[in-house]
Amino acid sequence: MSLYISNLGIPTTTYSEQDLIVALKERNEQAFGYLYDSYSGALYSIIKQLIIDNNELASDVLQEVFINIWRKIDSYDQTKGRLFTWMLNIARNASIDTLRSKSYQNSQKNQELPDNVYKGGNNQTTQVNIDNIGLKKILEKLKVEHRVLVELAYFKGFTHEEIAEMQGIPLGTVKTRIRNALIQLRDYLK
Amino acid sequence: MNVQEYISGGIIESYVMGLATESERLEFEQKCAQYPEVAAAFREFEEKWEKFALQNAVPAPEMVKVRFLEAIRNTASGNTPSFNQPKIITMENEKEPVRRTGGSRFLAAASVILLIGLAWFAFQYNSLKSTNADLSKTNNSLKTTLNSKDSILNQILAEDAVTKDAVSNPNVTVVNMVGTGSAPKSSANVYWDSTSSNVFLVVKNMPALPTDQQYQLWALIDGKPSDLGVFDATNEKVILKMKNTKKAQAFAITIERKGGSPSPTLQKMQSLGKTTIKQ
Repeated sequence: MSLYISNLGIPTTTYSEQDLIVALKERNEQAFGYLYDSYSGALYSIIKQLIIDNNELASDVLQEVFINIWRKIDSYDQTKGRLFTWMLNIARNASIDTLRSKSYQNSQKNQELPDNVYKGGNNQTTQVNIDNIGLKKILEKLKVEHRVLVELAYFKGFTHEEIAEMQGIPLGTVKTRIRNALIQLRDYLK
Repeated sequence: MNVQEYISGGIIESYVMGLATESERLEFEQKCAQYPEVAAAFREFEEKWEKFALQNAVPAPEMVKVRFLEAIRNTASGNTPSFNQPKIITMENEKEPVRRTGGSRFLAAASVILLIGLAWFAFQYNSLKSTNADLSKTNNSLKTTLNSKDSILNQILAEDAVTKDAVSNPNVTVVNMVGTGSAPKSSANVYWDSTSSNVFLVVKNMPALPTDQQYQLWALIDGKPSDLGVFDATNEKVILKMKNTKKAQAFAITIERKGGSPSPTLQKMQSLGKTTIKQ
């Protein structure tokens, strides 16, 4: 860890990935602040891609994700991948859990009620914005049959078996199509 | 195995994106350990994935950072930070649509959520209470253990000091107390410093006594016994500082009633040791 003094005289600390992990495992509050500053935007982006049109709920999930990172940091194993990969999967899982929670399901039902029409326009604009960020955006470049499966697997959290049943296609086909879709996505990542 | 085929087959992406099954994950971790090419391709994709995500970041609310840091600050290590926050906020999310369909439904929903919240707090409070009780129990038992270890350590140190002193100090007499006919297994040593008059008794093994009795150490001075103090039976090696005596031709241990007697009950003499110093 090295300490830099900025021109304004405000000390800011930067960490190497290794130092950061050590400090996080020591439950260093400053390190968690740094973690938030560096990664909250990327994590918030994925949360918003899953939890569409509900900024308040997305913020709550983001907070839950950081608390989970704080709680589970000891179980993070560097040999199994980068810190970011680990955190992003926590964010994705927390979002999927929220989507599946009873309270969220109920709120969705309520929004389908006819007396809730004003929300329609708002809904669409947010939808468009969300489609313009991150993975959602490059997903547009895939063929429909690939895109739908990645949507269900990555953004809705369904297992391959569930998708096969839902879509009425063989499990083997689901697996192959998702693999092929991911290979294509890799080439679109810049 | 064709390593290149494995690398380009989509497993890396699947693993990083959290879409691999448990068995695929285990296999992949094993392959990474086995083939450096797989590990390198894995690292390369992870970095690409991270870079892409950072490029597509959207500003996160600063309020969340404040609440997060507050939550971890208020949480002593080991406790669970507040998790009910999302639940309470959910209530507000539901407020809008439900309110239009009738206030009573909103109230019902709100009271249910309030109950859940209260139950959660009660549960949290109770679990903290029991954690606290467990910790103080552990603390007390640790204290007891520490005290007993401390006293053992002090005994060892004191005995060591006495023994060293006895060896190096020519004025200290070591008297080996030999068990008499009525108590052949009794065993103790008296360390007597004739210049400072200090008497230490190292009890090695003295048989257990009824609770109303104690052992008493005597110095025999010119044929007359002089009380040097009482001690309890023990089969552990302990060291005791007894009363001082300037003179002694012999030491004796007798069994007396608790607290000791003014004069020894000689038929209960347990052990006897003679000094070799000429008085």
